[in-house]
Amino acid sequence: MRRSAPDPSVAAGAAGSGGDDPAECPYCGSTDTEREHPKGPGLCRSMHFCDDCGEPFERFG
Amino acid sequence: MPTSMPTDTPGAPGDGTDSEACAYTAYEDGEAPEEYPKTGAGATGAEADVWAALYEVEDPEMPVSVVDLGLIYDVSVDEDSGLCEVEMTLTYTGCPARDMILNDVRCAAETAPGVDRADVRLRYTPGWTVAMVTDAGREALREFGLSV
Repeated sequence: MRRSAPDPSVAAGAAGSGGDDPAECPYCGSTDTEREHPKGPGLCRSMHFCDDCGEPFERFG
Repeated sequence: MPTSMPTDTPGAPGDGTDSEACAYTAYEDGEAPEEYPKTGAGATGAEADVWAALYEVEDPEMPVSVVDLGLIYDVSVDEDSGLCEVEMTLTYTGCPARDMILNDVRCAAETAPGVDRADVRLRYTPGWTVAMVTDAGREALREFGLSV
């Protein structure tokens, strides 16, 4: 059985909350961060990278 | 062009598998609904004991209690029958840790004095958001490397 509608969780740019706002780095608080992947170790999280302190981190959504 | 692609979607309605799981995780921003997160503040007797036990249950993926994550929606204990009912949610319906978390919560609730049997029910309303995480949970998540 095929889905009639595309899965919204895998639509480009649709995953995650906060739209395109950069995530706040949990280590240094910087928002000079970029999302590296819409999904992380769990599907409820996305992968980010902090350009200030050079740490990878996660965010819900 | 792959030729061995399955033609049916796992979890599709009618295929006999659990079809309640969805990978959609666009969390709403903003405030948590009134009364949430629930932390058992003000609970007494066996219910307070159950809340204390649930504080010891950590999410299998993060070193944070399920209470501090805001996953526990209701705890009630019938002190006559010893039946405890826990209502809780997950961060999204497709959470692969579902069975593990439900079992951990049930077992923890059953360790409380005065509880003979615990039933754990999943609820998805109100929908979980990051706003449901307690201040202590936020601190623990940041230390873990999760932006909240």
